Amino acid sequence: MKHSRILPYLLSLPGLAILVAILYPFLTGAWWSFTSYRLNRGDPEFNWGENYLNLFSSGEGGHALLITLTYAISTVVIETILGVGIAMLLNKGKYGNFFRILIVLPLLLPPVIATLMWKVMLTQNGLVNFLLESGGLPTSLWFNGPQTALLSVILVDVWIFTPFVILLAQAGLRSVPIELREASSIDGAGPIRNFISVTLPLLRPVLVVIILFRGIDSLKMFDIIYTSTKGGPIDATTNLHVMAYLDGIRSLNFGMAMASLMILWLLTYFVANRLLKIRRQESLS
Amino acid sequence: MTATKTVFRRKPRRKIKGLAGHLLAISALTLWTLFALAPILWIFTMSLKSPGDIITYPPVFVFDPTISNYAEVLSGTKFLVPFWNSIVVTLGSLVLTLIIGLPTAYALARFNYRGKESIGFAILSLRFAPELLIVLPLYLIYQNIGLYDTYLGLILAYQLVTLPMLVWMLRSFIEELPQELEEAVAIDGGNRWTAFRHVLFRLIAPGLGASLMLSFIWAWNSYTLPLVLGGRTTQVITTGIQQYISYQSIEWGQMAAATVLSMIPGILFAILSLRWIVGGLTAGTVKG
Repeated sequence: MKHSRILPYLLSLPGLAILVAILYPFLTGAWWSFTSYRLNRGDPEFNWGENYLNLFSSGEGGHALLITLTYAISTVVIETILGVGIAMLLNKGKYGNFFRILIVLPLLLPPVIATLMWKVMLTQNGLVNFLLESGGLPTSLWFNGPQTALLSVILVDVWIFTPFVILLAQAGLRSVPIELREASSIDGAGPIRNFISVTLPLLRPVLVVIILFRGIDSLKMFDIIYTSTKGGPIDATTNLHVMAYLDGIRSLNFGMAMASLMILWLLTYFVANRLLKIRRQESLS
Repeated sequence: MTATKTVFRRKPRRKIKGLAGHLLAISALTLWTLFALAPILWIFTMSLKSPGDIITYPPVFVFDPTISNYAEVLSGTKFLVPFWNSIVVTLGSLVLTLIIGLPTAYALARFNYRGKESIGFAILSLRFAPELLIVLPLYLIYQNIGLYDTYLGLILAYQLVTLPMLVWMLRSFIEELPQELEEAVAIDGGNRWTAFRHVLFRLIAPGLGASLMLSFIWAWNSYTLPLVLGGRTTQVITTGIQQYISYQSIEWGQMAAATVLSMIPGILFAILSLRWIVGGLTAGTVKG
């Protein structure tokens, strides 16, 4: 079909306008990360990357980076294993449809609301501690315990987002032809062997999408952590995104906040870029 | 002959093994379903409890249900104003996203032009950037130009959440349709616009619906943006619900009732469109 050369640009113009508009706050923020900008103390002044140096020499940045990575890696690993496992069970029989609609519910709530629900469940006199006590098990401080806070936020993330993995994995599993699995089990392959050499390779493209979304979203997780612990107790759950909020909005230290956001952005950009490249190769082949 | 024999002999054993497998699967699924539903059911029972029943320990499972929490929540402004704000901001964002996103997605799917992949990637990368990276500078920019704590300001900022996914999903929906459809219209003397309006638009309607619903859920659930850019007058549901928790006290019953009420729109929207949403996210990765 013939068309004028400028038509596609004309059509993308609104999208381009948004991109250009976003460039302004982005570049402003990037500039702030190199300045000693505090809201209550005058204009930004260039300070030769002192914020970045401070971030890591004080140990705060390193700690937040560690929390960010621990959180992201554990949620992605747990959710992927659970999600693919549950998806396989759901695809086993007709009862899958019944369970699916119930299992998917947590995903549909705003994460903030879901977190509040878990806060109610996990208070000192909450339902979970009561059940533990009745079962003769020790109770826990959950969100308020320095050792348990990170585990508790990971638990909430797993509760909310495992259904996301389940939905995508289920769609991916449907593309694995049953004949292929039957053929390999006739050849003597057990269920584990079957999974590794037949199902998993065919599931790979969907796994890439799952890890892309879950990975990035947990690297920049804010809602669950800020609603439940505000980064505490002390800094037990302060990841880079939460730290940036506390530095920026609480302490009005925009220079420091933007420095940690730039680091977080580089991290997410790198991961997203790699995974999108893999995805493009997969869809071409 | 031998083949039929073996099949015949193997069948009963396989059947028993299959049955055990199904039982195991059903019990595992039941266990996970209980885990998934427990907090929702607990908050629901809590919303029907009187203050006395809520704070007792050990928790009570049998109690006199009351609707006073709902009556309280629905009679004041504490819940209804944020709820209304959420509706305005979410719907406003969807309309704007559609106006911006549909032509962009069409261009990305149907034309080959310089910079196409860069534009596509740049828009998608908005979805993967930490929200505060843009929102924190916007906070000061908005205060200077008077967009802080306004509907328009929020709707513009919400494009960060809604636009990338809409463009990404729509693009794959359009790409999956054969280009010949539009060429056929051209042969019949139609131009690109008639082809789009009469053929393509109808075919992508389900996909468009799904993308819009997913955008709705994302916008409805958004927290960071209204937390930083919205003030008292534009509080939305996710920021508003925190009012029930203060340093002095937590109004558990009302918070529970507000929580239950704010779950409804997302659940309604999603149940209607679950199938399409999955199709959109996995487009291009699942064949057949």
